[in-house]
Amino acid sequence: MVILETEDIVAGYGSGPDILKGISLQVEAGQTYCIIGPNGAGKSTYLKVISGLLPSRKGRITFKGTDLTGWRTDQILRKGICLVPSDRSLFPDMTVRENLRMGGYVLSDQKKIDQRIEEVCELFPILGERHAQQAKTLSGGQQQQLAIGRALVLRPELIMLDEPTLGLAPKISKQIFDSIEILKRAGMTVIIVEQNARMGLEAADWGVVLDLGKNSFIAEAQKVLQDERIQELYLGKKH
Amino acid sequence: MTQISQIIILGLSLGGVFALMSSGMTLIFGVMRIVNLAHAAFIVMAAYIAYWAFKLLGMDPILSIVITIPVMYLFGLLVYRLLFAKLIDNPRFVELTVLITFALSLVIEGLLSYFFTGIYRSTTPSYATDTLNFGPFYFPEGQFYATVVSIILLAGLWALLRYSRLGYAIRATTQNRTAAKTVGVNVHQISMITFGLGTALAGASGSLVSFLFTFFPAKHMEWVTIILALIVLGGMGSLIGSLVGSFLLSALAAYVSFNFGPTWSPITFYLALFLILLFRPQGLFGKKMELQ
Amino acid sequence: MSDQIISAPPVSAVPASPDAKKSRGRIIFLAILFLGLLLFPLTQAIFGGMNYWLHLMLYTFMYISMASSWNILGGYTGYVSLGHNVFFAAGAYLAGILLVYQGISPFLITPVAGLLALAIGLIVGLITLRTSGSAFIISTVALILLASIVMDKWELAGGANGLSLPLMGLKMATAKIPFYYAFLILAALTIFMSYRIRHSKFGLGLRAISQDETKAEVAGIPTHIYKVLAFAISGIFVGMAGALWVYYLTYLRPGLFLSIGIATHMVLMTLIGGKGTVAGPVIGAAIFIATNEFFVAQLGSSELNIVATGIMMILVLLFFPDGVIGTLKNRNRLPRFLDWE
Repeated sequence: MVILETEDIVAGYGSGPDILKGISLQVEAGQTYCIIGPNGAGKSTYLKVISGLLPSRKGRITFKGTDLTGWRTDQILRKGICLVPSDRSLFPDMTVRENLRMGGYVLSDQKKIDQRIEEVCELFPILGERHAQQAKTLSGGQQQQLAIGRALVLRPELIMLDEPTLGLAPKISKQIFDSIEILKRAGMTVIIVEQNARMGLEAADWGVVLDLGKNSFIAEAQKVLQDERIQELYLGKKH
Repeated sequence: MTQISQIIILGLSLGGVFALMSSGMTLIFGVMRIVNLAHAAFIVMAAYIAYWAFKLLGMDPILSIVITIPVMYLFGLLVYRLLFAKLIDNPRFVELTVLITFALSLVIEGLLSYFFTGIYRSTTPSYATDTLNFGPFYFPEGQFYATVVSIILLAGLWALLRYSRLGYAIRATTQNRTAAKTVGVNVHQISMITFGLGTALAGASGSLVSFLFTFFPAKHMEWVTIILALIVLGGMGSLIGSLVGSFLLSALAAYVSFNFGPTWSPITFYLALFLILLFRPQGLFGKKMELQ
Repeated sequence: MSDQIISAPPVSAVPASPDAKKSRGRIIFLAILFLGLLLFPLTQAIFGGMNYWLHLMLYTFMYISMASSWNILGGYTGYVSLGHNVFFAAGAYLAGILLVYQGISPFLITPVAGLLALAIGLIVGLITLRTSGSAFIISTVALILLASIVMDKWELAGGANGLSLPLMGLKMATAKIPFYYAFLILAALTIFMSYRIRHSKFGLGLRAISQDETKAEVAGIPTHIYKVLAFAISGIFVGMAGALWVYYLTYLRPGLFLSIGIATHMVLMTLIGGKGTVAGPVIGAAIFIATNEFFVAQLGSSELNIVATGIMMILVLLFFPDGVIGTLKNRNRLPRFLDWE
């Protein structure tokens, strides 16, 4: 079942040129997609458009049958789409708990939020341990867990992670991907943008190659991994 | 020894009021990086409102806070809507807003001058000239009430920021604007509300200031520099900082005033501002003033 | 003098004939204009009754000079100074005090005032330019306020009441004429200096700083030195204007020279005309003063003037941030005789 459909998305920043030049993608529910591609291809931009942080100039976004084009971020969040940005976007002076609370900002039921926070702390125990500490005192990996945890407070159906292993050591990156496994098993639809193409594709069901604002290639993740061109371009293998 | 303590008490008593005066400005800066050079002009505006309420309706200036807060809140929303709402995405935002608020302060000064002339004004409730005695120390009664009211209002502000949903949104937007957007905060709306809130705080300050100092339209220039000194010392965007800065500098100014004469006390603030900008522009607790 | 203006046309990459015609047309226009300005006071000497216009013209020349000067720091380098009249006051105080106590004519002192302004600019610039952005703007405001308190207390200069200067001893009919020429020369010099800076490596560096200071630094431009130099140079002509103006007014008082209004005028004129361009401050000064005179004639001189100034500034900042010259240029509608780049 197609949960998200983006048709011919065109977008750019300010009055600048088009970064996305017509992306069309159908996302199946419960599957994991990994978007790879060179820098400047528009991967982060694409996620920002879906989450409402950047308006699209053309095209349509449909989620669970509803047309979301032009919706505000808080409306999109309530619908069930969450973004974990590449810079983690935490509130540095707020505590871990307060950051998680902000994750539930668009909800009005405080009890529900508190309950969800407990659930998140079960998934990421370190957050429960450090719940009264300021977010800026956490390590990189812990901050990433907090960022993901914050998105989970809303129990999204579609979660998008922009470069979740950015700046993290390999061991920590593995931990992050282990958490993503748990999300997958819970039935969430996951879209990941990853510079570490190998790691991302190995965790995903589908691989999407974005280049120069258009999606040039979509196939099962394993096929993408084994494709010679991809290997040469993004995985560093020389032939 | 008692003399120094007395001076310090006098200084601290004004510190509370200065803290209230500067809280609005630092709040606005924190949320939307606007250095509102018209903040003191807003205070003068509110002082005139309090003055005419006193003169025409016999209203006690402290009571006039009930008028100045809502009136100035709405005025703040209007100013934001008219002047800043469209500019948010402009790359030269910081520089433009400094100049625009500066120009706005001139407009307000000119209008006040035109309608009310440059006569020195002051509201004169009875407590403005009485003193309270606490043992060997004395406390001007007006300043005492003003300090109490300031502390109450500041406590209210603190509670709002700490516990309410709006407060969370404001703090989130101050700390990381993009992150706030990501979790669904409507940062445009929050910016507008915060501007209104900051201006409302200026309004309350105006009511208090109306009986603490004599004022006239051009007075805002002196006050804005003082307020800037306070928040730059404490750290732009930090409320605690503006509190600490206010008390520190007021005590210092009281000391200078006592030893060198009252005309020298404004220099304390100007010099402090100058020096801090040079050596530690982020002050004690705050963020740098350049656009991140 | 006129040689220097007309012998400096911008050189285009390939001097094709339309460009040659363009610069020739511009040179002729400017030459005629300058000649007219030179001869204008003769009408007063011969016919009389032109004192109001002489005053207006020299006032405009003064602001052309000050705005163009400010533009070097505010426009070319992008550092907005709201306290630039500190130089104005410095020049005025130097000339005023030397005249009263030593009897030296300010016309002789003017170049010295320029040097004093340069020195002050270097010292103050070294200190204040450690900040940037809004911190810098605020520090210039603090500077002005500090200066006004200090001047208020300086007994030698008469403190807050100021000093009265002796008159020049010319008849009413011709008294304004020497000042007219003095300010005209000052304006011409400033425009020339502005033009030369714009077309120099220094000017290029300044422009890089105004666009992106970090990148300029990385590219090898000595940003701090350049900024301080720009600050100091931008003060020279303002200082000289102060020395002349105090003589013209025959009165020295802190309020006259240290009022925020003067600094605001410099900023506003440059903004209206187009900051960062050579012709901008000139046009801006002319437009502003003309509009101001119009309003004064209609509404009378009152506090509404600063209301009008403030509103104009807001409108320009919101809708025409590039000023007249800049906006016309963006739309490719800039008349050639105004393009002095």
